Amino acid sequence: MANQLSCCNGIEISFDPHHALTTLKKVEGSLQAFPYRSVGELVRFENVGLRYGVGAETLTDVSFSIEPQSFQFLTGASGTGKTTLLRLIMQALKPTRGTVVLFGQDTSLLEKDGLTALRRRMGIVFQDFRLLDHLTTYENVALPLKVQGRDEVTYRAEVTELLNWVGLGELIHAKPPILSGGEKQRASIARALVAQPELLLADEPTGNVDPSLARRLLRLFVEMNRSGTAILIATHDLGLMDQIDGARRLVLADRRLYVEASDV
Amino acid sequence: MSEKRSLRYGIFGAMMRSIPFFGRDPLVAADQVTDRALVAVIAILTFLAALTASAAQLTAATAMRWQVMMASEVTVQLKPQAGRSIDADIVRASDILRGTGGITSVKVLRREESAKLLEPWLGSASSIESLPIPRLITVQIDTRQPPDLTSVGKMLSDAVPGASLDDHRTWTKRLGHLSDLFLTASFGALLLVVMTTGLTIVFATRGAMAGNREIIEVLHFIGADDRYIAGQFQSHFAVLGVRGGLLGGGAAFLLVLALKLSMMFPDGLPFSGISEMPILDWQTVFVTFGVIMLVGIVAGLASRITVYRTIGMLA
Repeated sequence: MANQLSCCNGIEISFDPHHALTTLKKVEGSLQAFPYRSVGELVRFENVGLRYGVGAETLTDVSFSIEPQSFQFLTGASGTGKTTLLRLIMQALKPTRGTVVLFGQDTSLLEKDGLTALRRRMGIVFQDFRLLDHLTTYENVALPLKVQGRDEVTYRAEVTELLNWVGLGELIHAKPPILSGGEKQRASIARALVAQPELLLADEPTGNVDPSLARRLLRLFVEMNRSGTAILIATHDLGLMDQIDGARRLVLADRRLYVEASDV
Repeated sequence: MSEKRSLRYGIFGAMMRSIPFFGRDPLVAADQVTDRALVAVIAILTFLAALTASAAQLTAATAMRWQVMMASEVTVQLKPQAGRSIDADIVRASDILRGTGGITSVKVLRREESAKLLEPWLGSASSIESLPIPRLITVQIDTRQPPDLTSVGKMLSDAVPGASLDDHRTWTKRLGHLSDLFLTASFGALLLVVMTTGLTIVFATRGAMAGNREIIEVLHFIGADDRYIAGQFQSHFAVLGVRGGLLGGGAAFLLVLALKLSMMFPDGLPFSGISEMPILDWQTVFVTFGVIMLVGIVAGLASRITVYRTIGMLA
């Protein structure tokens, strides 16, 4: 395991072993590392900068890529821009400068229909869940398939199965307002996974759950990763990151992104 | 599932959603207060529109009937002439008319009948006995082969001094003009009401979109395109439009039937030209439900156009 971080522009920095960038530790029952198979980048950022208004850049010279079937954490202190970076990937924000390439397509050249097609290849777990309160758990989870125009008959069984898998089988008719934080989180994750995306973006997916449920949710991501989905989890939970051996860490600090050198 | 839907949307909503276009689960969150207010506004506007359209249709139909009635009958008036027997003139005029082709019947109004017609202006029949009141002959014309009324009138006035033929042309023309005017005004009013409905939907859609901004954002992120989102709003507002339309149109339909009934027998007696009309005819049904459908279509289109125009800003 490397004990140094390489920044986007090649500069290496040392890190505090007691800080968030500690060497990955193997803990009891920890999950196994995942081999990367480079088929073609799902995400590539080249010198991306983002500025809100006329102030200083929130993100500066961000360069990184995400390979298919890879597993990585995006970490950093609060307010360093983890959510902003995810929003750049999901195209909720446009970069002020630099190039964002998603699934081989330069997003600055994308038409609206093209953007929709790209988003259908991603699954997103929002920090605040963003479930639709007037729909049932089942309807919320089935939504990505529904908006693709699929007939309910074709997905009813798989949605029900997924809900059972995340432990919400008894709550398929319940609406989000009566769900607990953890149940909402699981419903949100199930919604992100149901269309079997190539890339899953999760913003603090275990932020509202107890440690045992966090481990269970993480196992869910691992299973998805094993079945071929690349995972990017934004978190500041060190314990969570420690449970995955070999997962790459993207660290945001001082408006820049540092990619932890991988030993894989 | 269908039982659940019935409970959630009510029987009407469940029925609407059994139709393919309306059959989706609503992704646009229903706002009970706003939706009810909107349904009420649409119901009132549809009521006014359907009432206007029905009144126009009724007026046009009645005017047409009156015009046909007036065109199938002419009146010959004989003014008393000094030194002439009016009874002899009546017989002569009747003979000329009966001998003319294209005339199906000739009826001489008795003196008492002519006096009764003048009663509103000259008082009771007994007091006008002594007055030299004109006598009238009503003539029914074969509308398929009508006679040349100009030559008939000339023939009468040549043969019987003081005889004149009134073919009601002036009245028919005025009635037609009035009917056209009313129809134009009604069409204008209908257009305004439909435009108002459209604008109401536009503002409601904008409000709903602002209120559902987060839902729209989520739908975008999970892969919904603008067409799908617009379809959701269109479906939502078309359902509200048709619901309001059915309420307002239904009320207008019943009121039109009641008005028609009261017009047929205004003083307990049949009103010529109207009382012969059926109370429920396909034109009334067509006009009322045409307006309801029009309101539904306008509601759906207005929301769809608004969504497309607004969605870019929200995205």
